[in-house]
Amino acid sequence: MEIICQDLSFSYPEGDHALFTGLNFSISGGGFFSFFGLSGSGKSTLARLIGGLLQPDSGQIKKDGVVNGLLSYNTERLPGWMTVEEHLKKVVCPGRELLLDELITRFGLRDFIEHKFTRLSMGQKNRANLVRYLVQDFDLLIADEVLANVDEPSRNSILAFIKRRFPSKTFIYISHNANEVALFSKLIFVLPQAGPNGISSLVVISGLDAFGPEETDHSIVGDKILEILRASSQGHW
Amino acid sequence: MSVKYLAGLSDYLIPPPNEIVVLITRKSGDFLFPAINTTLVAVAGHFLAILVAAAVAFLARTGSRFANMVRTAAYNLQAYPVVAIAPIVFIFLGDGLASRLLIASLICYFPLLLSFLGIFSDPVTDVEHFFYQTGRLDSLTELAIRTFENLDKIITVVAGSATLAMVGTIVAEFLAATNGIGYVIRKSLYQNNLAVILASLFFIGLCSSMYLMAVETAGKIVKSRLLR
Repeated sequence: MEIICQDLSFSYPEGDHALFTGLNFSISGGGFFSFFGLSGSGKSTLARLIGGLLQPDSGQIKKDGVVNGLLSYNTERLPGWMTVEEHLKKVVCPGRELLLDELITRFGLRDFIEHKFTRLSMGQKNRANLVRYLVQDFDLLIADEVLANVDEPSRNSILAFIKRRFPSKTFIYISHNANEVALFSKLIFVLPQAGPNGISSLVVISGLDAFGPEETDHSIVGDKILEILRASSQGHW
Repeated sequence: MSVKYLAGLSDYLIPPPNEIVVLITRKSGDFLFPAINTTLVAVAGHFLAILVAAAVAFLARTGSRFANMVRTAAYNLQAYPVVAIAPIVFIFLGDGLASRLLIASLICYFPLLLSFLGIFSDPVTDVEHFFYQTGRLDSLTELAIRTFENLDKIITVVAGSATLAMVGTIVAEFLAATNGIGYVIRKSLYQNNLAVILASLFFIGLCSSMYLMAVETAGKIVKSRLLR
């Protein structure tokens, strides 16, 4: 599986300047990848371009080997007239009922699965939303801050589980949390601050590709976080 | 009544309160049954308008040529006052139930259509996104999502148009019908019987309030059941 962005250019009609200009990068194979950058750097826009929700002004995005690509973001809501359980059972792909049951338990949804979505906390809503994507038939899942409101221990547990349970799938994880991005990602694509001519290249940093903070030395993690933060705050255009 | 006494108007212009009360108590049947008749026609016309407006709005929610045509027609046709079209309706359909029903429907149809058009053509992205991504966003799912997410707006516009339905029915009856409270008002106008007119207005207010209350209560029940 390979995602190749070739000479990608994009600007919003109402924007003052281009966001991406002739951007080139690629993501190969399965695994956990991340987009990182400061707020407004274009992470979600890049995710939507890859997910097909936006069309580039020029250039192309090839997704070889991706039959089913999905994009999820953190403000999604489940239908309000049915319980979480009813909805999940309705949308689970055939043959994945056991997976659904496992995810409900692992993601801590068991206690409130009979409630309606509006009665859940923000973190519970994020987890319920992620579960319904994970029980779909997908090759690529772009997760745009899908765990933004989940506490850190739960996030680490969820990300570790996803990596173990779906080793062959490709995940593009967008987060503001440099720690989890450094820990869990195979590669981190850092979006620098865009100049007036837009972003033309990403800073690619190797992640620790671990399954949790207990697997790595704190100093290594700290160094990696610094490397990521330096890359994101520099104007590489 | 305060205007009557402050301005010193004669009993001929505005009957005294006791005359109206006596009229209502002694001849309540002469007002109540026509008022109920009018209310039933208004309710039927209102339901008809809701169904047709919802159906047309749902079909016209896309950006297709048909949808644009429906929108343009709706914006333009509402410029014609229904009360001006009413005599033409009576000429073609007579002075019976059909005319009253049609006019009651027409008068509340366009506000309903425009509201439903806005509701059904505005995507609820945060809910629909998952269904769109997974290929599950069919017309019924879209309708269910947009209806549920705009339930408050729908209840408000349905309740608001209920009053229009009553008004439309009464105006139609006043113009040319031979039934209903509007007909009673027209007869008493020709007889210069203001007491009957005022009594009729009392019963119109009573029936309108009860219908409006019923619609709002139904809306609250639906909402509480769905959100429970």
